Amino acid sequence: MKLRLLDSGARGALPGALNMAIDEALLGSVSRGESPPVLRLYRWSPPCVTVGYFQSLEAEVDLDACRASGVDAVRRLTGGGAVFHDGEITYSTVLPLGHALAPDDILESYRLVCAGIIGGLGLLGVDAVFEPINDIAVGGKKVSGNAQTRRQGCLLQHGTILLDLSPERMFSLLKVPAEKLKGRLVEEVKARVTSLRALLGRAVPYAEAAEALAKGCSSAWGAELEPLPLSSAEEAEARRLAAERFSSRKWNFRR
Amino acid sequence: MIRRRDHKVPGGKLLRVEVEIESGLVRRALVRGDFFAHPEEAFEAAEAGFVGIPVELVEETALSLFSKPPLRLFGATPADIAQALGEAADETQAP
Repeated sequence: MKLRLLDSGARGALPGALNMAIDEALLGSVSRGESPPVLRLYRWSPPCVTVGYFQSLEAEVDLDACRASGVDAVRRLTGGGAVFHDGEITYSTVLPLGHALAPDDILESYRLVCAGIIGGLGLLGVDAVFEPINDIAVGGKKVSGNAQTRRQGCLLQHGTILLDLSPERMFSLLKVPAEKLKGRLVEEVKARVTSLRALLGRAVPYAEAAEALAKGCSSAWGAELEPLPLSSAEEAEARRLAAERFSSRKWNFRR
Repeated sequence: MIRRRDHKVPGGKLLRVEVEIESGLVRRALVRGDFFAHPEEAFEAAEAGFVGIPVELVEETALSLFSKPPLRLFGATPADIAQALGEAADETQAP
């Protein structure tokens, strides 16, 4: 199969609302048959906290702390938990439902898509495994979280691969049940989560990670990569969605 | 009266439920959390199904509404959600 490769991050990092909007615009393109299946790679600037579709942004995120440190906050189209996007590479893929990588069985599709990410990590020298429902781990520690939604006859899955880990910073932006718990939560994350820097003992630049992930997905998914940037129509749609949906109070504070 | 309850699900997910009650009837039920539900709109339709039901039927209604196809849940079961909502609703009857 042909797999459209869109390396958004090669040109720089984007704000969270626009990142989420580009994913949704691509969902529309694939859904209308205007684009082949897509693998997109990207990064975030400013850093951003996203919350899952079913979470309350207000309940999970310390919005004052975010404002004070210039961090965005956005609700995702996908379920799952709160994520602090900084020091990571993010991917998204859009596949028509029924595609070999997008069977009706949701857990199986997580496994199939994550196999590409695991392949990419292998190329970087990291031996990772899929951990159901939606994690990728190395030696029992999570290095990647993934989230999927199915809309408009397509599967959209996005996920993060941690290049670096900063739990203290993360918990300074999330609401925790009690301030005295913060230290314990930071320790828990350090025990359960890892990063490419920790695993490889060096900083992995975005471009190196992007190349490995693209190759890993191409190989695991049996796909031929075809670099194809955003069309002007997709870009316009993404800008509209970023403004009207992912930057709006109506969407972000809906639950 | 709005009652909230946080309910940790075995496996680690956190359900944060809210039940608004007036004269023994549910006005609104909201199930927030870090779980997955497909399709998302079917989950919201299930939440809307609580409007007007008597408080004492919250748990069994939840079991039925959140088990209904095409809804598929990951990270929390209909029984988890029913328990969380049932406990929240129960508190409203406490003195």
